[in-house]
Amino acid sequence: MKSSYSREKLTLVNELIYEIKIKEAMTKNVIFFDENVTFREIQLKLKEKKISGVPILDKKKNIVGIVSIDDIITAFDKNYIDDKITNYFTREVVTAPQNFSVVYAIRKFEKYRVGRIPVTESLNTRKIVGIITMSDILNRLLIEVQSIAEKVKDEEAKDGKISNRILEKVSKKRLRFEVKADDFNNAGRVASITKKYFQNLGVSKEIIRRIAIVCYEAEMNICLHSLGGHITVEVDNNNAVVCAYDRGPGISNIELALTPGYTTASEKIRALGFGAGMGLPNIQHCADKFEIKSSLKTGTLLKAIINLGEKNETK
Amino acid sequence: MKLSKIIEKCKLEKVVYEGDCEIKAGYCGDLMSDVMAHAEPDSIWITIQAHKNSIAVALVKDIKAIVFTNDITIEGDVIKKAREENINLLRTKENSFNICGEIYCMMEGKTDTD
Repeated sequence: MKSSYSREKLTLVNELIYEIKIKEAMTKNVIFFDENVTFREIQLKLKEKKISGVPILDKKKNIVGIVSIDDIITAFDKNYIDDKITNYFTREVVTAPQNFSVVYAIRKFEKYRVGRIPVTESLNTRKIVGIITMSDILNRLLIEVQSIAEKVKDEEAKDGKISNRILEKVSKKRLRFEVKADDFNNAGRVASITKKYFQNLGVSKEIIRRIAIVCYEAEMNICLHSLGGHITVEVDNNNAVVCAYDRGPGISNIELALTPGYTTASEKIRALGFGAGMGLPNIQHCADKFEIKSSLKTGTLLKAIINLGEKNETK
Repeated sequence: MKLSKIIEKCKLEKVVYEGDCEIKAGYCGDLMSDVMAHAEPDSIWITIQAHKNSIAVALVKDIKAIVFTNDITIEGDVIKKAREENINLLRTKENSFNICGEIYCMMEGKTDTD
């Protein structure tokens, strides 16, 4: 009992890093400077506030650069500590938008090995609204996990249905995957990630397999037969809902397309083992409910619903 | 039947071997969606399609081992993906018909004198 409880908490962290937004974890009172400052002044501020770096902002709070302890050490070493930072500071800065999930920031920390990431108002603006470090993210995670653990403890006392509560908490997260046309190399990743997602939710193996087949065939269809599109996967009322959208060219005869063995695949695609004409029939067979709509103008929309079965599956 | 026994008796080359496991069924097919529709979990799959998508299919269907036939060349990225995803990759100089015959007889307990 105890070990499955901690396993649930661990996978919960995984879900939470997608759910928690950067703006919820970041520090809003940003300590910053403008270009007309010396390294010495920055050094004194870093020491006073016990921080390791500051963004350099213009009058409109747009980011123009960043200065960190490393830069200060270099300034001491090369003897320009009392100079203005103008000619020396780093102008290429790693930033993140406040509305993205913290997982985006975590990936940037891993990739660029910076100590802090200034947070922009939105994806295409340079205006800074906060700053985030790994400790900020960890602090926020601890708060969330603690509050969930407390809720769970209360529920445990009430009626003993633990998994239900956690299921409801994480089911709000919707997965979304962009699928590019002709991207054979990456094909299959939607099924693979979705499979792990439902394994985390404790769904039975047989049901996960059906969901994975639906995702795989939907992804391959977008990849092989369309101009590109995206797939969303979410949990709604104990059902897995998989929606696949593409931008075209559309299906002229849906009934024909649903016929097993019918394919419009080219020679090149068939040489790779695709084009068996079983994609849509496979999806129909695996889903509890299936809808498909298409127009030659806007593209195709496919929706498959798979019931997740009994909750609180024991493995 | 144990995978190690099939590998030994049929003299399959171990390209990626992540460990022994129980094989409950087999399937032969070169069309992805056909395998998607009909292969069983914990099975061995015989095919000539030695590319990354075969790994993706094996993952979705819980296929434990893939046998690539006709001594086909297997690219590095396929091997890498198989290792990451824990899918056993085997290879044989035989063609699909012959190797299927051998594996089928082994698993069904028949010999060629029957």
